[in-house]
Amino acid sequence: MRRRLRFVLGSEPRELGEVEPTLTVLEYLRRIEHRRGTKEGCAEGDCGACTVLVGRPVEGRMCYRAVNACILFLPMLDGCRLLTVEDLRAPDGSLHPVQRAMVEAHASQCGFCTPGFVMALYALYRERGVARETPIAEWLAGNLCRCTGYGPILEAAQRMHAVAQGADHLEAREAETVARLESWQDGETLAVGREGRMFFAPADIGSLARLLIEHPDATLIGGATDVGLWVTKQHRRPHPLIWTGRVAELTRVEDTGDGLSIGAAATYRDVLDRLAALYPDAGRVIRRIGSVQIRNLGTIGGNIANGSPIGDSPPLLIAAGARLRLRRGNRCREVPLESFFLDYGRQDRRPGEFVEAVVVSGPGPGTLFRAYKISKRFDQDISSVFAAFRIDLDGGRIASARLAYGGMAPVPKRAELAEAALVGRPWKRQTVEAAMAALERDFTPIDDWRASAGYRMTVARNLLMKCWLESSGEIRRRLDLAAEVADG
Amino acid sequence: MGQFGLGQAITRKEDARLITGRGRFTDDGPPPGCAHAVFLRSPHAHARIRSLDCTRALSMPGVLAILTGAELDAAGIGPLPCTTLYENRDGTPMAAPERPVLARERVRFVGDPVAAVIAETPHAARDAAETILVDYDPLAAIVDTGRALDPEAPQIWPEAPGNLALDWETGDAEAVDRRFAAAHRVLELTLVNNRIVVNPMETRACLAEYDPGTDRLTLTVGSQGVHGMQRILAEKVLRIPREKLRVVTRDVGGAFGMKIFVFPEYPVCLHAARILRRPVRWVAERTESFLADTHGRDHVTTVSIAVDADGRMTAIRASAIANLGAYLSQVGPFIPTECGAYMYTGVYRFEAAHYRVRCVFTNTAPVDAYRGAGRPEAAYAVERAVDFAARELGCDPIAFRRRNFVPPAAMPYRTALGYTYDSGDFPRLLDAALARADVAGFAGRRQAAAAAGRLLGLGVAYYIERCAGGSPEEARLELRPDGRLRLYIGTQNNGQGHETAYAQIVADRLGLPFADIEVVQGDTDLVASGRGTGGSRSIPIGGAAVLRAGERLVARARERAAEMLEAATTDIGFAEGSFFILGTDRRLSLVEVAAAAGGLEESDSFQPEAPTFPNGCHVCELSIDRATGVPRIERYTVVDDFGVVVNPALLAGQVHGGLAQGIGQALLERTVYDPESGQLLSGSLMDYVLPRADDLPAFDFDWVVIPCRTNPLGVKGAGEAGAIGAPPAVINAVVDALAGYGIHHVDMPATPHRLWRLLERVGALLA
Repeated sequence: MRRRLRFVLGSEPRELGEVEPTLTVLEYLRRIEHRRGTKEGCAEGDCGACTVLVGRPVEGRMCYRAVNACILFLPMLDGCRLLTVEDLRAPDGSLHPVQRAMVEAHASQCGFCTPGFVMALYALYRERGVARETPIAEWLAGNLCRCTGYGPILEAAQRMHAVAQGADHLEAREAETVARLESWQDGETLAVGREGRMFFAPADIGSLARLLIEHPDATLIGGATDVGLWVTKQHRRPHPLIWTGRVAELTRVEDTGDGLSIGAAATYRDVLDRLAALYPDAGRVIRRIGSVQIRNLGTIGGNIANGSPIGDSPPLLIAAGARLRLRRGNRCREVPLESFFLDYGRQDRRPGEFVEAVVVSGPGPGTLFRAYKISKRFDQDISSVFAAFRIDLDGGRIASARLAYGGMAPVPKRAELAEAALVGRPWKRQTVEAAMAALERDFTPIDDWRASAGYRMTVARNLLMKCWLESSGEIRRRLDLAAEVADG
Repeated sequence: MGQFGLGQAITRKEDARLITGRGRFTDDGPPPGCAHAVFLRSPHAHARIRSLDCTRALSMPGVLAILTGAELDAAGIGPLPCTTLYENRDGTPMAAPERPVLARERVRFVGDPVAAVIAETPHAARDAAETILVDYDPLAAIVDTGRALDPEAPQIWPEAPGNLALDWETGDAEAVDRRFAAAHRVLELTLVNNRIVVNPMETRACLAEYDPGTDRLTLTVGSQGVHGMQRILAEKVLRIPREKLRVVTRDVGGAFGMKIFVFPEYPVCLHAARILRRPVRWVAERTESFLADTHGRDHVTTVSIAVDADGRMTAIRASAIANLGAYLSQVGPFIPTECGAYMYTGVYRFEAAHYRVRCVFTNTAPVDAYRGAGRPEAAYAVERAVDFAARELGCDPIAFRRRNFVPPAAMPYRTALGYTYDSGDFPRLLDAALARADVAGFAGRRQAAAAAGRLLGLGVAYYIERCAGGSPEEARLELRPDGRLRLYIGTQNNGQGHETAYAQIVADRLGLPFADIEVVQGDTDLVASGRGTGGSRSIPIGGAAVLRAGERLVARARERAAEMLEAATTDIGFAEGSFFILGTDRRLSLVEVAAAAGGLEESDSFQPEAPTFPNGCHVCELSIDRATGVPRIERYTVVDDFGVVVNPALLAGQVHGGLAQGIGQALLERTVYDPESGQLLSGSLMDYVLPRADDLPAFDFDWVVIPCRTNPLGVKGAGEAGAIGAPPAVINAVVDALAGYGIHHVDMPATPHRLWRLLERVGALLA
């Protein structure tokens, strides 16, 4: 056990012995470090005013990710470098190219959201390759500004690369940081806390397994994008916390030959491109989960294990036929993902057991795979209904069908009667209509503030029809846009 | 004109700190030993408080004090005043129930503060607040503006039977009636101006400190002017001499009208600091901000226009119901009455006009100023009604506007509601906007869009507003012997860039280096007086005061220079920061004169004789997806007349920001209170749609300079214009897109859902 949390803040190392497990990075920065450039605008990862960069050494180079400091727990910085807006100016006081671009484009007015935008753009600046592929508005979907109308900020994003001249001062001295962080990499379990409230961060899967047997009631966290809100919105202080982010085996995404094995601690960001390569629609919907900052933290394993009926990954992966690998001590078992969800708030996870990986195989030659996220807005929103369909065609006939829905039942769930109405029949409008009718018997959705039961059922049915229309060429265009259901 | 002179798009002084994270906002750096306040708020929209028991909470660890309405009453604190009370149209006084700082006996909206817990940590305060026992007897609630006056609506205040706070009117009803009776056609439209949650990125916060030695309180708060806050808090709420309260405002993370006001949390924290003899800090969580900040707009208005046989509009009549929320906010009744009422003639030659508004109480958050404050409501009603009238008459809305414009030759023009427009050239701006927007090519673009399953609409709105009238502003200049100049002024930067704009005016007129000019705002100890920022007044009034103070400083320095140069004052010229004897090369810089004088100091104030009337033409091209109802702004063009321009980049920033808020209101922002329970359903950034980067188009913005004749700089206010012009332009475009299907009006926000339903109803949906 290592009893001290170690990270680098800017260019200064920090070692902390006593740490409140749920102290957020934002609160730490503002209250303890007096770095007050990072702001709280919402404390739930919606506005991005708290955006900071967390960097880790990867293959001898620093790899930075923009994240929301407001819902990130301080011990999750173990072995990382934290960069905030205060770090961007060069030692001689001159502005960073990102900052110069912001000034020249008049991209700041009241200045409150500005540090968050500066850091979001700095992350983009460091990922020059990504910058070319990602629309800037998508990159900034996690940052709100009420003053500028965004135009000048987008202009700054365009301009910053032109302003830049070679490596910035942070890049220039990076070898030092890499060396330090690498020297810190140990196999020890981090165990820090305060007044008996503990935070554990094991470094290998065996240690994780042992810890969970010792602390079967511990709250297991991946990116803490949900548990972070328990703390900031519900003012709960769960403990002990066990964080999976350091467990090397769990952060991997491995090629299995016919698919992927996704470690439970792999983030949306880690998985996005690889899953999209198997199922392009999976990439399309994952890109809409949260924002860049949230996807850099949130894990697929966490999204599954917390058992929410409206998580997006479970129906997506259920449709793809994924299996869940669970582990307790040295014993592993594998279950079909759908059977993990027993009832609202209840999963097939025994005391001391944890999700190790989700294993998903790729499409076959006759596979049709579609995923649809229906929410009030495009980014940063919780689904009212999520549907994913895998239909394997053999000639014109449906050899197998997996229709998985979120938001339709207390758990993510397959529409078994609708599937039965498809299998063995030709992939035709009448077949689909019969399956749509069967859906009514598969689900009894509820009314809540996100959508009415009637709306949910209508959408669930129609998404199946939409899938058929798209696949049959009756409508060519993919209707990507979120439906607005506020009055629904 | 120098490099930093008037009219230059120079970068901002403020950015040096804001871009690097060194801005200092209200909650950046609470002092050591600071205690934390948390407010317990009503979970009911309307309820009687049977009892309130803090016994257990008081014994919780870390709790320092709990304040309720009873404690505040005993200390002689409150109520929170409304400073703008009016008479009803029958001459009786309006209903003006008192707004207690903390609710007693009754709560009247979800979020109404009931008690404050002050503790060693925020956690301790929150834990204790949860243990306060409030026994509520829930009552029926009314949240809907349009139904607040219904006889069966739940009643909120005994002083306001029928929930009617104020029934107010202006204009000549008889003259209007005569023209309506004689009209060729009368067109009538009822529209909703949707409620807005202001949502500055920095939530409200305050820090209260007490110095027992001097018995003096200091409040650090994000405001729009420290002096108004000081006067009302000290004299009306805490009832202490004004000098016993210092108010400080540092950087402000957006305000938009809402941060002008005294809110309940401020006197509570001040009183707590006084009794505890410790600093007390409070920061609103985002949800608290949704619940308990003042909201904006929320009108339901019926507008009628009388048109003669030649297509000339002769009279306009508007009748509004304006929601004031559960309590009268500081200037709540001013917004739907005098603030916007006189703008109901727009840019048109109405011979007669009449406006009546019934202000109502509901079980919702108090409503007060939000960017534009009353004028957006007027402009939206007028520009929608004019567009509607044109279409009903079968006229082209652009030609119809042009025919009815007040012509430039008529300036100065006195409107039917009594304002005098000093200047303006509406046809010229309209033409400029139509040309920039390539309206000539619209028909082709509409065809192309139709082929792609999108309905394209063209919306034009010509807004005019009134701003920067009324109260004076004072500026003091202190030129130190080392050449550095300090400007003290009582307006308040909230992101507009005052430090830059004022420094530009000083640099331009005094010839001093831009970098040597420092602007001091936001401290009642440092700045003698001020009326704050609001109503787009800072540059037109504050800027004029700066200009005048500068002129005085130069005059004073000229006398010194004359002595030093041994010449008559009348022979001394001044240019580019130096005095010289006319016709010679003998010169002395202003800084040399100041150094010799041991520093120079002058102040002056400016009080406008009339408000300014900025105006402009917005052209919005918007398409609606026939399959999904999703609207998309394809082009947005604005040509404004703001008179003389101080800094084009700052100006564009104001216009862009206003447009974003106006477009947000028109397409995205929907405040929903549950009609039964009165709960705020859109109470977080997850549920309330603030525009994001991909929701807004690139804006094409240009301006025409028609100098204001009533202001020494020639400027017209610009801070609110975008938010005033955008809603009607956007909705006119939505209606134009749908006009082929017999749709005459769509209420804001025109969400995809609302549009999809309309498309479905008229059979325009693309299957």
